[in-house]
Amino acid sequence: MMRKKTSSIYQWIKIYFHGMKTSLASRMAYRGDFFMSMIIMMVVELFGPLVTLLIYHNGASFPGWERHEVLLLQGTFLLSRGIAFPFFMGMVWNTIRRVQEGTYDLLLIKPRSILQMSIITAFDSEDLGKLIGGLLLFFYALKSVPALPLVNWGVFLLLFVFSLITMFAFGLFMTGLGIVWVGNYRIYEIFISTMDFGLYPRSIFTKVFQSIITWVIPISLLGSFPASALLGKEMTGVFGAMACSIGFLLLGLWFFHRMARNYTSAGG
Amino acid sequence: MGVNYLDNRAKIYASSDFGDEPFHSLLREETTVQAVSETPVHKKAKPVFRAVIQATYKENFAFRSNMAVSLIVQPIYFLVQYFIWRAVFQVHDTVSGFTFQTMLYYFAVSSLLGFLNWDDTDGTLQRLVQNGKFITFQLRPIHHLYYAFFQKVGHRILAFWIEMVPIIGFYLLFGIKPIPAMPLWAIISVALSFILAFLINHTIGTMAFWLVKTDGIRRAVLVFKDICSGIFVPLTLFPGGIQKVLFFLPFQFISYVPARVFMGSYELAGFTLSIPAIVGLQALMVLITYLLNRLVWFFGIKRFTGVGA
Repeated sequence: MMRKKTSSIYQWIKIYFHGMKTSLASRMAYRGDFFMSMIIMMVVELFGPLVTLLIYHNGASFPGWERHEVLLLQGTFLLSRGIAFPFFMGMVWNTIRRVQEGTYDLLLIKPRSILQMSIITAFDSEDLGKLIGGLLLFFYALKSVPALPLVNWGVFLLLFVFSLITMFAFGLFMTGLGIVWVGNYRIYEIFISTMDFGLYPRSIFTKVFQSIITWVIPISLLGSFPASALLGKEMTGVFGAMACSIGFLLLGLWFFHRMARNYTSAGG
Repeated sequence: MGVNYLDNRAKIYASSDFGDEPFHSLLREETTVQAVSETPVHKKAKPVFRAVIQATYKENFAFRSNMAVSLIVQPIYFLVQYFIWRAVFQVHDTVSGFTFQTMLYYFAVSSLLGFLNWDDTDGTLQRLVQNGKFITFQLRPIHHLYYAFFQKVGHRILAFWIEMVPIIGFYLLFGIKPIPAMPLWAIISVALSFILAFLINHTIGTMAFWLVKTDGIRRAVLVFKDICSGIFVPLTLFPGGIQKVLFFLPFQFISYVPARVFMGSYELAGFTLSIPAIVGLQALMVLITYLLNRLVWFFGIKRFTGVGA
C-alpha cells in the first residue's frame, strides 16, 4: 500500500517535471522576450514595497512596525507568491484559456485527475522572476534584523507552509470560477487585489477586518503571521488562522470539483 | 464571381449591426421596385470614426461582466489604501503636504483617471503584427492610429457607465466628491491625458515591428509608467532627485497632473506652476509624443512583412 503511494507521488513529480520541461522549451522560442519578462517580473516584485519605502522616507510609519520589519513581512509575502505563481498558480490562467477555447476536454480525457493535469500543464517559467524578486527582498530585509532564535525559524517555516496552502486554496477558487465564468481573465485581479491585504501589518486594519483576514479568508497567513513569528511579535489568533487555512483548502477543493462538473465543453 | 461576392457581402452586412448603408441599399434594390422608389440609393455612409466607436461599444457590451470585475477589484484596492493611510495619519497630520482627506481624494481621482485612460492598444497592435493580420490595416481607408484611438473611445464610453459611475458612488460613501476645483481646466487636462496615454501605448505597440513579441517590454513600460505617473502614490512623496527626473518625463501628465488640476494646485520637484501653465505643458507633451509616434511608425512600418510569426 505504502509502496503504491510512493510510486504514485514519484509518477506525479515525474510528470510535473515533464510539464516544466515542455513549458520551458516552448517559451524558449522567444527567448529574448522570455528573459526580459523574467527580469521584469523580478523588478516588478521589488517595487512591491514601494509605498512602504516612500512612507518611511517621508518620516511617517506604520504604528509598531520598523521599516525593516515591514520589508521582512513583504519579503515573506512575495516569497510565498514567488513559489505559488510559477509552480501552481498558472492553473488559473491555463483553465480559463482552455475553457474558453473548448480544449479543457483534452485534460479531462487524460488518465490523471483533472486538478493534477491543470497544474502540470500550467508551469509558468517567467514567473520564476517573482521567486527571485521575493528572495532578494526577503534576504535584504533579513540583513537588518538581529540574529533570530532557531525556534522562530521553525515557527516561521511552519507558518510559511500554511501560507502556501492558503495560496493553493485561492488558486482552487479562482480556477473553479474560471470554469463557469467563461473567458474572464480578470478573475486574477480579484485574487491579487484581495491579497493586497496581506502585504501590510495586520495591525493597521480595523478589528472587523483583522477578524475577516484571520478567520474568514486567512490572508494574514500570507505575510503578517510568518513575519511576526520570525520577529518574535505577538500573533493573536494564529491557531484560528491555521485551522481556517485548512478549511479554506478543503472548501477550495470541493468548489473546484463542483465547478469542474459544471464544465459544458462549449467554449465561449 | 464579382456579383456573388457583392451578394454575399450584402447578406453579411445586412444581417450584421455594422450598418454599411450602400450594401443595405443593394439588397433593397433586389427585393421590390417599390422599395427602391421610396429609399434613396446613395445614402451617405456613417463617418468612419462613429462606425468604429459604435462597433467597439457593441462588441464590448457583450463582455460587460469582464468590465464589471472592476466593481469588486477597485473598492478592495481603495480599502487597502484607506487603511494604509489611516494608520500613517494616526501619528502624522500631514505627509509631504497631503492630509488624510486630500490623500484619499488624490487616490480616488487617480483611480478614476486610470479607468478612463486604460487601453490595450499596445497589446492589440503587437498581436496584429505577430499573426500578420495587421496587413488588413494597410488596405483600410483609415490609419491604424486613428482606428485604434476611436476603438479606445468606444471602449471607454462603455467603461464610463459600467466602471466609473458605480465607483464614484462608492467613493461618495467615504465622503469623497471627485468634483474639480477648476472644472474647465480639469476637462481639458483629462482629455489631454486620455490622448497622451493612448499615444504612449500605441508607440510601445509599434515596437512589435522590430521585436514581434513584446510582452516583456510592454510589461516593463507599464510598470514604469504606472509608477512614474503617480497612480500608486503622489509623486511628491518620492525623494527630491527622483522628482526632478519625473518632472521631465511624459508620464506625470497621464495621472499626476490631471489629479493635481482636479485639486486646483500643482507642485513637483520644487516647481510650483499655475493650472493653465501645467495644462499648457501637458498639451506640448501630447504634441511631442504624437511626433515621436509618427517617427517610430515611419521606421517601423518599413519592417512589416505581413508574414506573421
